[in-house]
Amino acid sequence: MSVTMSPKDFATATPSWWCPGCGDFGVLSALKQALAELGKQPKDVAFISGIGCSGKISGYIHSYAFHGVHGRSLPVATAVKLANRDLTVIAAGGDGDGYAIGAGHFVHAVRRNPDVTYIVMDNQTYGLTKGQSSPTSATGYVASVSPDGNPDTPLNGLALALAAGATFLARGFSAQPKQMVAMIKAAIEHRGFSIVEVMSPCVTYNKINTYAWFKENTEDLTVRDGYAPNDRLAAFEALTREGDIPLGIIYKEERPTFEDRTGLPEAPIARLDLHPPREEFASIQAAYR
Amino acid sequence: MILNSVEVMFGGQAGDGSLTTGDLIAGVFKRMGLEVYTYKDFPSRIRGGHTNYVIRAGEHHDYGMADAVDGLVAFDLEAVEAHIEEMRPGGFVIFDNTSETIPDDVRRSDVTWYEVPLGKIAKVDLGLELVRNTISLGVLGALIGMDPEIIRHDVRGVYQRKGEKVVDLNMRAIEAGENYVLEHFGDRPSGYGLVAGADGDRLIMMGNDAISYGALVAGCRFMAGYPITPATDILEWMSKQLPKFGGVVVQAEDELAAITMTLGAAFAGVRAMTATSGPGQALMTEAIGLAGVLEIPVVVVECARTGPSTGMPTKTEQSNLNHLIYSGHGEIPRVILAPGTVRESFELTVAAFNLAERYQLPVFVLTEQALCQSKATLAPLDIDKVKIDRGKLIDDGEVVFGEYKRFAFTEDGVSPRVIPGVPGGMHLAPGSEHNDAGVITENPRNRARMMEKRMGKLESMRPELPRAVLHGIADADIGIIGFGANRGPIAEAVQRLAAGGVLTRFLQLRTLWPFPDDDIKEFVRGAQHVFVVENNYTGQVMQLIRAVVGPLDALHGLRKYDGRPFRPIEIIEPIRQMAEVAQDDTAEVI
Repeated sequence: MSVTMSPKDFATATPSWWCPGCGDFGVLSALKQALAELGKQPKDVAFISGIGCSGKISGYIHSYAFHGVHGRSLPVATAVKLANRDLTVIAAGGDGDGYAIGAGHFVHAVRRNPDVTYIVMDNQTYGLTKGQSSPTSATGYVASVSPDGNPDTPLNGLALALAAGATFLARGFSAQPKQMVAMIKAAIEHRGFSIVEVMSPCVTYNKINTYAWFKENTEDLTVRDGYAPNDRLAAFEALTREGDIPLGIIYKEERPTFEDRTGLPEAPIARLDLHPPREEFASIQAAYR
Repeated sequence: MILNSVEVMFGGQAGDGSLTTGDLIAGVFKRMGLEVYTYKDFPSRIRGGHTNYVIRAGEHHDYGMADAVDGLVAFDLEAVEAHIEEMRPGGFVIFDNTSETIPDDVRRSDVTWYEVPLGKIAKVDLGLELVRNTISLGVLGALIGMDPEIIRHDVRGVYQRKGEKVVDLNMRAIEAGENYVLEHFGDRPSGYGLVAGADGDRLIMMGNDAISYGALVAGCRFMAGYPITPATDILEWMSKQLPKFGGVVVQAEDELAAITMTLGAAFAGVRAMTATSGPGQALMTEAIGLAGVLEIPVVVVECARTGPSTGMPTKTEQSNLNHLIYSGHGEIPRVILAPGTVRESFELTVAAFNLAERYQLPVFVLTEQALCQSKATLAPLDIDKVKIDRGKLIDDGEVVFGEYKRFAFTEDGVSPRVIPGVPGGMHLAPGSEHNDAGVITENPRNRARMMEKRMGKLESMRPELPRAVLHGIADADIGIIGFGANRGPIAEAVQRLAAGGVLTRFLQLRTLWPFPDDDIKEFVRGAQHVFVVENNYTGQVMQLIRAVVGPLDALHGLRKYDGRPFRPIEIIEPIRQMAEVAQDDTAEVI
């Protein structure tokens, strides 16, 4: 059954807490557009977010939304999917949430490959705590806790995911809505763990990685000659070479999902009858006689 | 002759098969109609290091450890040196003297020594050193009167899957042990004798198995966990069984993931649990707070071990109670249930799932190494009695968007709970403070009301909480309070004190939080002395009791924190001494 949905169907009455001009607005509208174009119903969408400015997005998507603790959106999302595989499960958070406090879970979610879409809104700073360096801040980035410049090397989240066995990698820019909608749709439709990293400028604290800076320093991979997102080595080269930040669908492969590999039944566990024939329980007890 | 009561200790190096043989002995005792309790005392390593396995058998239910070891089966000198002081005068030692001899200062004269070259017989006569365990079983059986047919039946059961050749070798090993006793010790009986009765319809089960089985029967279909001693048994058990019932088990990357996965599955409508021990519990703290504020029903089993930090990972302790009650920033309602027997491990796990869903909060099942990894005999578990009560769950039909409020204020503090997929129920579940609809707000009036709604559940649930159990003489002047694995030794102490003319009563706490204030007040009232028995240094239960009844002189702490469970005599002696003093005082007054 196909129902025509509009992005408005995924809007909530809650006013946004983001600063005017925040890159996260672009991500939010692209998400709503993508969900509507895919004909999803709010009741069938579970939207899990972490903590930070970007984590607030779960409050703005009309769905079954879960705004949990810092860095743990992926284990929650993985379990929601296992519990009810009929749901469209989306997790979202920032670069701090996903690549710092949640980095351990990020790698393991990639390895498991649950059918979950993960949106990383990367602004290269900690916005909600007022502008400290984040895992993706450039070396030398001057911030309140790194007054002499960030001493760390920025983390390449997508390359890390590729090394861990990612099956879908894409990167967008929040000022390019059309491309974002297309890649979020592709990500949701991908059977497996799909990562969409979005360059989402922080207009308040990050005065370096601005909209203008991203326009200057990004490259649309889809227009590069002969680039096909099914070559792991080419993807690694694109992600790690010096120069412009690649945008587009960077890598995609099919692999059994976590749900398949754990042998989940077709019907959601959440709908199981919890009263199987008592003989099935009794036979377990008999082994202790 | 001591009939039908024995505590055997099997001691050697980890990895030498003594745990398998210990299980075998326990099984044979059970099939002989005896009641059994086992206690594993093993090092935190896989090969090497002293390990022992205690098997107690007799005619009473719900044992813990005995006062002393009756028979020590020692595979090396280290086992003798480590445990000779625990031997009962009149007891016996079976010692493998293949390569070591007993020094004179260790050779207690009040125990009987049976030196058998177990290793040599195994290697030379039978061709396989490994079977010395089975030879020792033959020796032990012949010395204390274990039924030879049952021994053979059970040994066959264990080795059958390895083929007839292995079975045959083990049969000859039993016989070699029996013959050695006939030939060398015919004139030196052990002083112990077992008489076989009917096994009847009984089980022999470990605490962790009973918790797992309880969870399965109670409808748990999702578990996430991270391996940690002594809780791993549960993760392993559930991995085997849950998929057969349509459920799933995830081995998480850490305990942060294990608990947040548990929350995720429960949020989506599945009865979900995790199991861990102290170090893992510490990592789960933040997410437990989230479960409290999001009103998500989760069951967390804590199999406590000796802390702090790595502590003694394979040893027992009751030092994590405060952690379960107080851990976390902010305040949430939570429940802590503590089983005292294997049967209660099953029953209270079932209760935990129902309480968690009826009141939408985290429920802990707190057990400890000396119970969760111990086996006991028990009558079959009545699965027909298990009722699954999911409380105010809406997993079907639909609700009206705008009217439905996930965190609605209600009389008992519990709001109807929809799960994803139900039309009209869309909402935000935020860890931030929120209003009844789930919208984040810092409004002071709403905040106060929400706190009262959530915390009020602790009061509205009281009638449904598992009550404390009263053992012993109801109006005795001397009271004992304890929980968990101490139920066995305390209940035994009560009986034996009574036989010696000292009347006591014992309040076995089963709900530790919310603390049973009324039961405590009632119990302490009128008692001249109350002994609080617990395995920790600071007296965590004692402090809770003081908070209820004040710092009474009548309260006495009886604490043990060496990583080992209480033996009954360690409870009996201080109480007997106090009773004698009290009697003297009375005499003076008169």
